[in-house]
Amino acid sequence: MKSMRVIPFVFLLVTIPARSPRQTTFEQHRQRLIDVVSGERDRGFFTVTAKFTVHRDTAWALRMLDSLTADQSIGGMFYSYAAIGTYLKLRDQLPDSMRQKIRRAFMERTMYRGDTENHWVMYYTGIYLGAQTWPNEGRSQWFNGKSSEENFKEAEGWLNEWMRITSTLGQGEFDSPTYFITFITPVLTLHEFAKDPVMKRKARMMADVLFADFAAEHLEGNYCGGHSRDYPEDIINPLAAPATLWAWLYFGEPKVELWNETRYRPRNRGGWETVFGATSSYRLPEIIYDIATDRSKPYVETETKRLRNVIRFGLEKNPAVYKYTYMTSRYALGSLQGGILQPIQQHTWDVTYVSDKPNNTIFTLHPFYSGRELAMFFPEEQKFLADEVDRYHKVYTSPNKWNSSSPYEQTFQHNNAIIVLYDIDRKAMQQHIDGFFPKNLDERTEDPSGWIFCRAGATYVAFFPLKPYQWIEEEVDWRWRSADLKNGVVVEIGSSDEDGSFDSFKKRISVSRPEYENFDQNLTVQYTARSGDRLKFTYGKARLLNGKPVSFKAYKLFRGPFMLSERGSGIITMMYKDKVRELDFNKVTVREWRRAK
Amino acid sequence: MNLRKGLRLRSSLIILSLLSLGLGEQLCARQETIYMSVLNSRRNRLNALDNPIVGLFVSTDAGASWKHEGWEYIRTFYTEGGADGAIWSACGNGVLRSTDSGRTWRITTGWEITEVLKVRVDPGNPSVAYAASAYGIFKTTDSGETWKEQNTGFLKPFTSDIVIDWSKTSRLFAASEDGVYRSEDGGGRWALAGVKGKGVRTVVQDPKDAKILWLGTEDDGVFVSTDGGSTWKASNEGLTYLTVYAIAIDPSNSNILYVGTHGGGVYRSTDRGRSWQGRSDGLQNLVVHSLVVLPSTPTIILTGTLNGGLYRSTDGGRRWEFNSQEDGQVWGLSVR
Repeated sequence: MKSMRVIPFVFLLVTIPARSPRQTTFEQHRQRLIDVVSGERDRGFFTVTAKFTVHRDTAWALRMLDSLTADQSIGGMFYSYAAIGTYLKLRDQLPDSMRQKIRRAFMERTMYRGDTENHWVMYYTGIYLGAQTWPNEGRSQWFNGKSSEENFKEAEGWLNEWMRITSTLGQGEFDSPTYFITFITPVLTLHEFAKDPVMKRKARMMADVLFADFAAEHLEGNYCGGHSRDYPEDIINPLAAPATLWAWLYFGEPKVELWNETRYRPRNRGGWETVFGATSSYRLPEIIYDIATDRSKPYVETETKRLRNVIRFGLEKNPAVYKYTYMTSRYALGSLQGGILQPIQQHTWDVTYVSDKPNNTIFTLHPFYSGRELAMFFPEEQKFLADEVDRYHKVYTSPNKWNSSSPYEQTFQHNNAIIVLYDIDRKAMQQHIDGFFPKNLDERTEDPSGWIFCRAGATYVAFFPLKPYQWIEEEVDWRWRSADLKNGVVVEIGSSDEDGSFDSFKKRISVSRPEYENFDQNLTVQYTARSGDRLKFTYGKARLLNGKPVSFKAYKLFRGPFMLSERGSGIITMMYKDKVRELDFNKVTVREWRRAK
Repeated sequence: MNLRKGLRLRSSLIILSLLSLGLGEQLCARQETIYMSVLNSRRNRLNALDNPIVGLFVSTDAGASWKHEGWEYIRTFYTEGGADGAIWSACGNGVLRSTDSGRTWRITTGWEITEVLKVRVDPGNPSVAYAASAYGIFKTTDSGETWKEQNTGFLKPFTSDIVIDWSKTSRLFAASEDGVYRSEDGGGRWALAGVKGKGVRTVVQDPKDAKILWLGTEDDGVFVSTDGGSTWKASNEGLTYLTVYAIAIDPSNSNILYVGTHGGGVYRSTDRGRSWQGRSDGLQNLVVHSLVVLPSTPTIILTGTLNGGLYRSTDGGRRWEFNSQEDGQVWGLSVR
């Protein structure tokens, strides 16, 4: 590996503000969280950390820690960072015998590194901190036969490379409401305990990037827009995702205490990873809080991400993923360009709206699956993979699944309008497209004009299917299903802020019918949004906005009113009103200043 | 001294007794060490306490019994022993090496090398080894202390297998996602040797005639070369399942070959691949990913299935009996 040359950092804080009301909210939330978790009895490192932090039930917590340390079935990347993080947070409170026990377990237990980006962040964070904590140990002392020095160097090398590629080309498992926790938690742990000031600073900068990336597409606790990976339960119920608790802790939204909400259903280990945030010295820069919470003006956020490593059936290792998200105070409409951009759990587009009801989203997908798709990313046999993945993710081959990457799906979005087209191969697995419409919509009507109109509180949705469809009633939704292989929908979103009444919205939409003559031959749809903007989209070909081609090549790493970064530059700038915060990963510096008004 | 003599005598009597019971076949083969790499098990459940043990299993009695060695779940694809007694494993975590018969292991590779599907040790120099991985070929010349990427010439570096020519160890063959590649300089440069466009899953060299090589492919069956890899021709008569993951040659008679297929179980040829006959009687799982013929007793064959465990035949594949690893994914088998 080429070692990364790091210029000693310079940290300039032009202004050091006093504690703001927002910081007070964070302090209140973090204390509340620790208080709640310290009263829990679920077995996990985060619960142990909470109990020791407030000196509550510590004898029981010690027994729990002893059990976690002794249990040989617990290992791997999830164990790696959580075990060392707990040790480092609590070591002054633990008896020497327990410290030695954890040390032996950590160094001697086989840990699987995993096969994906989030696994490696967790694994190498753990190895980095373990090797730093127990230096000068020889090869025979470690499970992997490497000395502390060798382990440290390897972990440092990978972490540096991950930060480099993420700050220049984008994250691979990007913007995931579920997997967000598997990035932010180890990164905060690394920031907290790395002794090398450069690594410590870089980890802090990465935490800033992860939070800011979330903040730019955050709406009252919902992680909006397209996602690289998400579980079906979270896709159809966005506030159920684990990331929501991080939003509550750091952004102060949603306003409710999530553990009392039946709609909040985090998976795995109690979902208390946030305890590591609540016990961290990291404090969210105020500018990120502002980005997360100010929805006073609608805006467009475009971003570039990258595919996880393509190991087969492709010439480019990390092709770009282009994101487009339109944010308002009522709703967010977001999309990826379509195609296979992540295996298994991709969520290509949706509208997510503010609601006090669950299932606050509408979207469509083609529930595609194939062994060849999986073999692009995993080394096992392609004829074996679909069944194997189905065993773990349960729904991969299901015709009714709510997450999917399909090579036969493409999108074209402009502001609050989107055209989604499908051209499904006759041999492809699953020969239909599905749409999710929550049952709890306030209104859902089929207009003679061909539009389906929906109202959810103050958010209005106009949905135009190009082909015949049927409704299938399910527990929480009406499943919209259409079986034509050459297919598509046109969707435009509005709200009471933009349109006044729902009737007014419907009236304005009804006069603008999508044009799609000879669609099966030309796969072309034209639509004039109520803003007057004209979208023309041909599947597999050009996206035209008011007659001019839209090129993804012009996309930056981040581009919006709050975030700006040239792809490849390693410099990420956050902006809010006159405040600017610049992260320079090349120089490992953070600068803040105020722009002239 | 008397005690030793007594023990020796008792051992001889036991051996004679066992031979008289017809078990001599296994004892004759006990000098061989078989390495079975179990990737995972269908029984594995995320975060479960009762997951079956997977990883490396070793047998020194012709597969009659097995002992787990080393690590458990790190996705072990294949294991091979070197001439110096070292054991190498190709794993998700990289390339592992043990110099104490599997009691302790070292990950020899760093973060750059992952998803290693096969590791081969130079038969003439056990400090040289090659790793075939999702990211191409890597080589060590110092017993794994350092590794070097060796992908010059590959258009698509995904490789699942590599063969070191036993007659000239600087000549290598690699199974790639886009044909079979050959190197004449120990991996320094590679060139396409044939079957472009076909996904090659495995490559095997005849143990007696170095010019004969066999390929197993995804959907295109078996290919053979009789001129050291310069030309290749399909050899699929009678082979009705054309995804071939494993090929094994009878070490005592190169006319006899076995192939493991996806969906069709095991096929056997007795005429050097000109025709194939199904040999799956007793196999409860027909997705065969690994095969090995014991050199000392070529009628004993082991076959590993994906999610069906290990099967063993003692009559040249006429009848298979379940051996071990219920619901296991027996990804790799090798014998030394």
